[in-house]
Amino acid sequence: MSAGATDGHGVDEHGTEGHGVDGHGTDGRGPGRAPLDGVRVVELTDESAEYCGRLLAGLGADVVKAEPPDGAPSRAVGPFLDDEPGPDRSLAFWADNVGKRSVVVTGDDDVLALCSSADVLVHTMGPRQCAARGMAFDRLHEYLPDLVVCAVTPFGQDGPWADYLADDLVLMALGGSMAACGYGPGAGGEYDTPPLASHGDQAWRTASTYAAIAVLGALAWRREPGRGQFIDVSAHECSASMTEWHLMTYLCSGQVHRRGPHPTLTAADGRQVAALNPDFLGPHVFTRMLDMLEDEGVAGPLSDPAFADPVHRAANYREVWRALKRLADKHDGESLYRLGQGAGLPWGVIRSPDEVLDDHHLRARGHFVELDHPELGRSVTYPGAPFLAPASPWVARRRPPLLGEHTDEVAREWAGPSAARLAADRSMPPAGGGAGGATAGR
Amino acid sequence: MALEGLRILDFTRLGFGAQATLICGCLGAEVIRVESTRFPDAIRVMPPFVPEPGQHGEGFGAATLANATGAPSPNRGGIFYKYNTGGKRSITVDARHPDGLAVLKDLVARSDVVTESFAAGTMERWGLSYDVMRDIRPDVVYVSMCGFGHSGPDRAHVTMGPTAQALTGLTFMVGLPDRAPAGWSFSYLDHVGGYLGAVAILAGVLHRRRSGEGQHIDVSQLEPATALSGALLLDALMNGRPSRRPGFPSGNRRAHPPSAPSGAYRAAGDDRWVVISCRREEHWAAFVAALGDPPWTADPRFTTMAGRVEHADELDAHVEGWTSGRDRYDTMHLLQAAGVPAGAVQDAADRLERDPQLTARGHFTMLGNAEVADLPLEGVPFRMSATPPHTGGRLRRGPPCLGEDTAAVLQDVLGLGPEAVAALQADGALR
Repeated sequence: MSAGATDGHGVDEHGTEGHGVDGHGTDGRGPGRAPLDGVRVVELTDESAEYCGRLLAGLGADVVKAEPPDGAPSRAVGPFLDDEPGPDRSLAFWADNVGKRSVVVTGDDDVLALCSSADVLVHTMGPRQCAARGMAFDRLHEYLPDLVVCAVTPFGQDGPWADYLADDLVLMALGGSMAACGYGPGAGGEYDTPPLASHGDQAWRTASTYAAIAVLGALAWRREPGRGQFIDVSAHECSASMTEWHLMTYLCSGQVHRRGPHPTLTAADGRQVAALNPDFLGPHVFTRMLDMLEDEGVAGPLSDPAFADPVHRAANYREVWRALKRLADKHDGESLYRLGQGAGLPWGVIRSPDEVLDDHHLRARGHFVELDHPELGRSVTYPGAPFLAPASPWVARRRPPLLGEHTDEVAREWAGPSAARLAADRSMPPAGGGAGGATAGR
Repeated sequence: MALEGLRILDFTRLGFGAQATLICGCLGAEVIRVESTRFPDAIRVMPPFVPEPGQHGEGFGAATLANATGAPSPNRGGIFYKYNTGGKRSITVDARHPDGLAVLKDLVARSDVVTESFAAGTMERWGLSYDVMRDIRPDVVYVSMCGFGHSGPDRAHVTMGPTAQALTGLTFMVGLPDRAPAGWSFSYLDHVGGYLGAVAILAGVLHRRRSGEGQHIDVSQLEPATALSGALLLDALMNGRPSRRPGFPSGNRRAHPPSAPSGAYRAAGDDRWVVISCRREEHWAAFVAALGDPPWTADPRFTTMAGRVEHADELDAHVEGWTSGRDRYDTMHLLQAAGVPAGAVQDAADRLERDPQLTARGHFTMLGNAEVADLPLEGVPFRMSATPPHTGGRLRRGPPCLGEDTAAVLQDVLGLGPEAVAALQADGALR
């Protein structure tokens, strides 16, 4: 396919989509630019979907956060810098808003004006709220046919629970992660502690990540005018689909997985090491483990050739675990982890989130980035690229925005339609204007 | 479909890599899984097995080599069916056979994207390094998905989901105060790594459209996870409050925003629970009204959010006194009707059998193949109005039997006739 091809498929002589420059790449962008460079995103979300915009910004999109004069709700969520609240001091806000710009809007007409220059709108509204604010997709699509609109809501836009309320904790419960996480039964054989949800808002993050994927898919398809579309992300569905083997186990066996930790070794320094033994991958797994245990002088009965038989090994697994515990008694957590890895075992020492910063491997890969916070007179470390793409590197353009920091700048720069836009939009009437009635009749 | 016309030559195994191509398949990409009859994907041959009609298989607890070697067929491993929807096709090719390698090179020439999840260096040893692939197809987008990635001092380290979860702080974030972490009982990071693998594929494709340039994108299972801890990292860096401290992790209680009651409460039945999360004053007011204003809710200690947070233990005892005799779903629906965020703690059976929302949204799609009867399978959990994703992918079909598409793909994509395919088969190149 060649530049300006309009077949929408771009199938080349190989029967694949080829590499022709697409409709929004005709402005002479060269290699080395981020994949979403020039793509404008309006973010009108609560804290549940900010991670989506963070990912899109990392891919080079110009993500503009439309905030009310007192700031997005996430600016009021702690922890705060030096534990002092303030719209520019929320570390929760910082974590999910790296690379975005902030514009204060005084009403929905301002939001619509931003949308009329944008390629993507990400919001967290249900159908009623959208309609009330003049942002129902049908209406937006009539005037802004290229606009991709992505709604991230707890349960999606329809269904019997569509109006139910949920925070991350509720989503982790309904989605199934929680039932499968926590401590095993207590001494009496009964569960005496509750199912647990992870910190870090994982259901929200999963939904946000899927939202970013869907937006990328929509942008990949939007090669011709009029190809905006509506993306409906249900965080509940996202949360429900992330428990790996649990649904299949139930379907296959009728058994429900009950919660309990993975096998963990306690090292001599008290640190814990996830000590997986993927015996199912092949006989080499045990052979290499045995070599390590013998080198360390703790193999004990495992040196008996009977243990080479996987059936015998499975029946006497307690002996395997005892030998591993003897090994753990001899080493601190970090060296136990490395010893296991040296034997080809997928072991990992359990680190807290901030202990990850010291990992020399991640540092060598240049993972963490320092972003300048001029208002503080210092830089701050953030997690960087989630993958290494040498020709289109991850972008860490700026620290999280101060409230309204870019209101004037964006007004200037977004005065015309996006360079990435495909078709001229019709002028958008105000949110409360007469066109709303006309749209409702469609 | 959104990725119509995109062809992915997919060498991924297990969960992490396969999750990425599953997503692309559901969005309409043509995904060709390259497999081996001699070294089948472990999740094809390990329990739980999809049972014969009328039988029950074994649980995951039996995932030992003893069981794997006794697998009934490479098409009954249950977890394979979690990760290989999206209409993937399966071909078997022996990369170590010269004619097999030649077939693979011809396929690379006709593919937009090549994905794999082997240990770093594996494809290089076959003679399919990125440099070789680039010679064949200069703009190929090569996405490797491997535990520690392809560069860095520990690149030889191997991971499974729980390994990466331990190393990146995910395991640490699940637990009760002053106990060892409970962690996750499943490979959450196989999913997350796969999501970012899909992002990498899409980013690579979009970049190539603009620039004509391919590249090797290096996805590890660690980097996609470091941002999942949200503000915890910054709290340590900026406020000197490391996560490894007394009282943290705090179970289901969240300090930000401070809210109570919030947590999992016992419900009627054996180990049944319901989550209630009153994040705002209005939720508490609705909660009190829904319960019919019992006297304990008027306790002056509970009239403000700050008071409820300070006396959360006493408050939780009252709340659980109410929930523990009630059905978890009844509590959820009563509270939701009143405007209180609440949800039953659902397990796998609940999601399949007692969740009308998942059903109404069409979350599960009945798909099977020649060997396995239709199962309720998952694809991508979002809708797109103009390019609807489908769990069966562009072909609207279930996960493939091992090698079921070898002849068809060689004919459709490479234009090989039946005789040529038969010759390759006789030659041992398509094992």
